[in-house]
Amino acid sequence: MSGHPIVATGLGKRYGKVEALSGIDLDVAAGEFLVLLGPSGSGKSTLLRAIAGVERPDSGRLQLAGATVDDERTHVPSERRDLGMVFQDYALWPHLTVEKNVAFALRRRRLTGAEASGRTREALETVGLAELAHRYPSDLSGGQQQRVALARAIVSRPGLLLFDEPLSNLDADLRERLRVEIAAVTRLCGATAVYITHDQSEAFALADRIGVLEKGRLVQLDRPEEVYRQPASPFVARFTGTAGELPGRVLDPGGHHVVLDVAGARLRARALGMLRAGDAATVLVRPDAATLTPVFDRADMPAVVTDVAYRGRGYEHAVRTEAGILTGLHASTRFERGTTLGLRLSPDGCHAHPVTERGIKSDDMNVTTVSFEPRSEALPQGRRPAL
Amino acid sequence: MGFAPMLARAGWRSAARTRASSFRGGTWILFWVAVFGLLVLPIALFLLVAFSPALFEQGPSWLTLEAFKSLLTPTFLPSVMDTLAVGVGAGALATVVGGAVAWAVQRTDVPLRPLWSGAMFTLLLAPSYLVALGWERLLEPNGVLDVLGVPDAGLRSIIYGPIGVTGVLAVKGLPFAYLAVSGALRGLGDEFTAAARVHGGGPWTATRITGALLAPAVWSSFAIVFAESISDFGVAATLANDAKFPVATYTLYNAVQAFPVDFPVAAAVGWVLLAMAGLAVFAQNRALKGRSYRVLGGRSRRVRRVELGRWRRPAVASLLALLVIASLGVPVFGALSASVISGLGSLIGSHGFTLDNYSRVIASPQLHGPLLFSVGMGAATATAVVTLGLVAARLLTGSAGNFSRRLLDLLLLTAVALPGIVFAAGYIFTYNLPLTDALGLHLYGTPTLLLLAYIATALPSTTRLLVGTVGQVQHSLPQAARVHGQGPLGAWISSELPLIARPLISAWLLTFGGTLLELPVSELLYPPGQPPVAVGITKALSNYDFGGGTAMEVLAILLALAVTGLLWGLWALFAPAGWRRLGATS
Repeated sequence: MSGHPIVATGLGKRYGKVEALSGIDLDVAAGEFLVLLGPSGSGKSTLLRAIAGVERPDSGRLQLAGATVDDERTHVPSERRDLGMVFQDYALWPHLTVEKNVAFALRRRRLTGAEASGRTREALETVGLAELAHRYPSDLSGGQQQRVALARAIVSRPGLLLFDEPLSNLDADLRERLRVEIAAVTRLCGATAVYITHDQSEAFALADRIGVLEKGRLVQLDRPEEVYRQPASPFVARFTGTAGELPGRVLDPGGHHVVLDVAGARLRARALGMLRAGDAATVLVRPDAATLTPVFDRADMPAVVTDVAYRGRGYEHAVRTEAGILTGLHASTRFERGTTLGLRLSPDGCHAHPVTERGIKSDDMNVTTVSFEPRSEALPQGRRPAL
Repeated sequence: MGFAPMLARAGWRSAARTRASSFRGGTWILFWVAVFGLLVLPIALFLLVAFSPALFEQGPSWLTLEAFKSLLTPTFLPSVMDTLAVGVGAGALATVVGGAVAWAVQRTDVPLRPLWSGAMFTLLLAPSYLVALGWERLLEPNGVLDVLGVPDAGLRSIIYGPIGVTGVLAVKGLPFAYLAVSGALRGLGDEFTAAARVHGGGPWTATRITGALLAPAVWSSFAIVFAESISDFGVAATLANDAKFPVATYTLYNAVQAFPVDFPVAAAVGWVLLAMAGLAVFAQNRALKGRSYRVLGGRSRRVRRVELGRWRRPAVASLLALLVIASLGVPVFGALSASVISGLGSLIGSHGFTLDNYSRVIASPQLHGPLLFSVGMGAATATAVVTLGLVAARLLTGSAGNFSRRLLDLLLLTAVALPGIVFAAGYIFTYNLPLTDALGLHLYGTPTLLLLAYIATALPSTTRLLVGTVGQVQHSLPQAARVHGQGPLGAWISSELPLIARPLISAWLLTFGGTLLELPVSELLYPPGQPPVAVGITKALSNYDFGGGTAMEVLAILLALAVTGLLWGLWALFAPAGWRRLGATS
């Protein structure tokens, strides 16, 4: 079955004084896998629940498969939207067996008994649980329960699959295995998928496109590579993984890259927002932009190793520079604590944005602001995507 | 089914939705009208009359404290002071004894633990007047002990007096104390004791620490038993009344029942009872202020039971057995023995074993009529209360309507603390007002008013019970049903009803049993010629038909047990396997 395209125009939702969603414009192609990424409270759950029909938006219009399901006058209830959903807490009915939980989603299809049980078995086989069909959810492990929820979502071959942080309750190993399964199963059934998570590595791994939400607004909607390489705002850059932030001053704003003075070293970076010569700026550094070298010259920034951790494929280092601390820097060899190294930063992995006296200046006034603190020793540890 | 045709009907559905939401709005209005009519209005008007008798043509003053002043006169003051003393005594006694039972059952290897905890639950369901009547049957002049020729060793004068009244109320309070303290003991893992011991505290220090952590439960237990005892009417109308020991609830009853009716004084007593219950809750809050006792967590370890040893094990078990005999055994023996002795309570004639009393109850409409009437009322009340309670519980646990939720929560909490006799007096008062008459509500003296009052008294506690259950259902379960194709009603039936079915049956049975044997509301509001069973029992007893009264009592309890057995039997036979798994202990 082909997937349903989704079009949202100016979607908004308030809870009392809190604006959970504001002016969401979204266009998801049939069969596309969209991941909505954002911290808690960013509105991603509200958006997903609005698409599911569990919440009704206050403003804007939502169309599924070309038909309006939400606007000022219309609200098509969940059960009429032809979708399947995997809930964060699984939402398996404890009084029904695995088989009956899955078969439940077929009731709307009005199939014959044989057809329905065939489809149910097929869905359970797809997720590798055919042998547990007669067990109750409470007899299953967390991972198995989540597989049942996945089977229930796909069994009726809906045009739209929704995933509400389905892996957040599982341990790291199981999360990775189920992520691969979700990707494979979803693409196999051809449905359009909307998946929400606050884990950027999950988002990068699954998405055809990622929508980043901040305070109820969609601040970037792009392919994963673009979101990572060209974040639309400091917020997006931070949320998709940085090794740290270095304060500096703009020397030359022109050209493809802006040139900055960072603690006496010249650094080139992509500009995020308008930068003029002499402006104070903060450079957000992607972990993979940094190279550590034991032999260094004047072009490199000196860095002292403060911590080292073995990560299987190599070593992750935390270093202290004149400008600040960077963490999660990968190297294939181990550098001991206290060693002084040269730090080389690739311009494409550095994003400079302007800083005012009060905080970060941004095109988007809604982005998170942080105080400008040069030489801070306590910069937050960056998030490291597993790229 | 294709998606496009479904969406093509979106316009029709949007109209349907408008209809559905106006239907929902209508349901909520009806619900609030019911809550106000049942709970708020009768009580509020009744309590108001204490300050303004003229407003309701009950006296000349528009604003006065006369009714309260009269409570300070020697006519009424003793009953208020007695109530206070009895409440404190019963609260303290029940907390000490109930706490000890909880400790023995939860923390030691005392034998027959399920029996002791089962006895506590049975006691929870036994109406206080039945406990009191059991003791009375044994000890009264020409009672069972006299007939059997057993000397009472001065027990009669002790039980017929303040000590007996306090004791029976403490026995009725035992289950509350037991539940409060054992809940806290269960949450109190071994690590608290271990932490005290490894950091240098001896066994006594460790016990003190555990004891301090139990403080909230101890205070709660005292507050609950105190509030229950001061608002009790069953013991007040039986043992206390027979012992000429006046308490406030009986004073209120007299003020409403005797001639001339004195509603302002009755309302003033209502205020005093409310104030005392409020005081208990306030004292509890005050004692716990600023302390945090969050000891319940997923990380608490299982507790190791104290090994009592060779001598203490049978000793503790014997003490528990003695307690169960005194609290449950005596009333049961009292009622059972009295119902099978002929001519009990009379000086003339011989006393022998007989089943005549039972055949009389079954044959005589005067005796079995109340039983059947109460069964009908109990079933109707339970059905209405469970339905209304479910709606209220959904409102209380739902996400919408913050203000109405808080208001309902406050109303129900206040109503739980309100004595049944105040409810009944409020109903008599309100439905006798010229205004209600003018409105065409001629309900006074009808079974309908009795039913409404039963519903009003049972609704608050049943709702609290259901809130716990309904609140436990994950919101995502019905949502998942909607998302996967079920309409609102279908989603509720398929995904929520199975989870709450067992607690719903429990709530229905609790309400049914409670209503079947309810005394204060029945006593004040029963329609002429149609007494409920509690009134029938007390009437028969006051007519010295001890055999008939106790036989009726035994039959009523057997009937409640039979209905309970029947419903659970049907459940076991016909409920789907998945439904039965939920909440069953493995």
